[in-house]
Amino acid sequence: MLQRTEGIVLKTNLFGEADLIVTYITKDYGIIKTFAKSPRKVKSKFGSSLEPLTHSKISFWGKEDSSLPRLVQSDIVYPFHSLRSSLGCFLKVSEILELTLNFLPERDANNRVYSLLLNTLRAMEMDCRTELLLLFYKLKLLDFAGYLPMLNSCGRCGRKGNIFYLSSGTVLCNRCAKDSAPSKSLSPAVISLWMNLLGWDMNKLGRIKPAEKILQELTALIDEHVKYITERTLRTRTF
Amino acid sequence: MPGIIENLVNELTRLPGIGRKTAQRLAFFILSMPEAEALSLAKAIQTVKEKARFCSRCFNITEKEICEICSDNSRDKSKVVVVEEPSNILVMERVKSFRCLYHVLLGALSPIDGITPEKLKIRELIDRVKHNGIQEIIIATNPNTKGEITAQYINELLRPLGVTVSRIAYGLPMGSDIEFADEVTLGKALEGRREL
Ligand SMILES: [Zn+2]
Ligand SMILES: [Zn+2]
Repeated sequence: MLQRTEGIVLKTNLFGEADLIVTYITKDYGIIKTFAKSPRKVKSKFGSSLEPLTHSKISFWGKEDSSLPRLVQSDIVYPFHSLRSSLGCFLKVSEILELTLNFLPERDANNRVYSLLLNTLRAMEMDCRTELLLLFYKLKLLDFAGYLPMLNSCGRCGRKGNIFYLSSGTVLCNRCAKDSAPSKSLSPAVISLWMNLLGWDMNKLGRIKPAEKILQELTALIDEHVKYITERTLRTRTF
Repeated sequence: MPGIIENLVNELTRLPGIGRKTAQRLAFFILSMPEAEALSLAKAIQTVKEKARFCSRCFNITEKEICEICSDNSRDKSKVVVVEEPSNILVMERVKSFRCLYHVLLGALSPIDGITPEKLKIRELIDRVKHNGIQEIIIATNPNTKGEITAQYINELLRPLGVTVSRIAYGLPMGSDIEFADEVTLGKALEGRREL
């Protein structure tokens, strides 16, 4: 069966002599892996359309539950070429891609994450140095994937609290925390940055101007949370 | 199919471009070969695995400490072409007009796959440039994202050493038609235009 959708290339891996496994996040099927025949040959019809970040319209062929359908066509909608032509930008973007791969299951369409990624890539093209955007993406992705740590109140009962428990992935109140090993006391500024990032639209991000220290504190907390859940440090973080 | 032939077929399907049908054909062909020829094939595979090693200077495949290219005194030793894989050297060597040295990185950077600079032969390249009187480094990593960021990373390390760093040109494949090129390839070809 021929399936059509649009997607963004998350990564490619060599397969055999001249073939590639292309991992997409697609609008209609979520994350899928496809098999592309011979794209590495100089005269391949795929051209540069399988490079990471390329937003394209694709068709692939395979049984509905095929684990590796064959990519038949890919037409570039927008290449996001500038994001992969600078090492610094590409490192930042790679972290976003790796997180997305880690937190979304395959074959599970998630329209909110798809739009979030597309919009984040567009915003990064304007300015790929901003740490705030990266943090915004992480929080939103965790939220949409169901792993958002609760920071402004107890994640179990909703009572007040400001101590974050890594092993529970949330702030807990005194009563709920009785068996958990304490992790980190959060400052009001960190909690307020977390609330602003979750509550505001991406196009209003410019109005949030957190102190560098607060930004780093929340980033470190989220990174640790991610590491705890995925049980490893992101590869892109070791670069 | 007898188990021993089945086994050979399975081994042959590991090779790139060999499907099950071809593997079966090859297996029966091997069965029909004179014993000496078949054993010589097996022996050649064994020898290459035992004897092949990386050149300690450029990481080309060789059976000696230093490969034939590095020990060839007729070559221009002031220029080094940096490639991703040893097999790239074979292709480069077909360009007869260009006879210089090589450096094989044994891969390309890929943050998402955990391929960091330490996993490639980048430090070794820097050492060569520092100590061997090299004047120009020509980066011939693949014209894709991984090859491109690898080229940038190396360039940043080499610039301060006062060596000329160049990148092979991007463009359209010879014999192709502009009509079928995508916008990124065409954009690169336009950027890399030169005066006639
Ligand atoms: Zn509670
Ligand atoms: Zn050598």
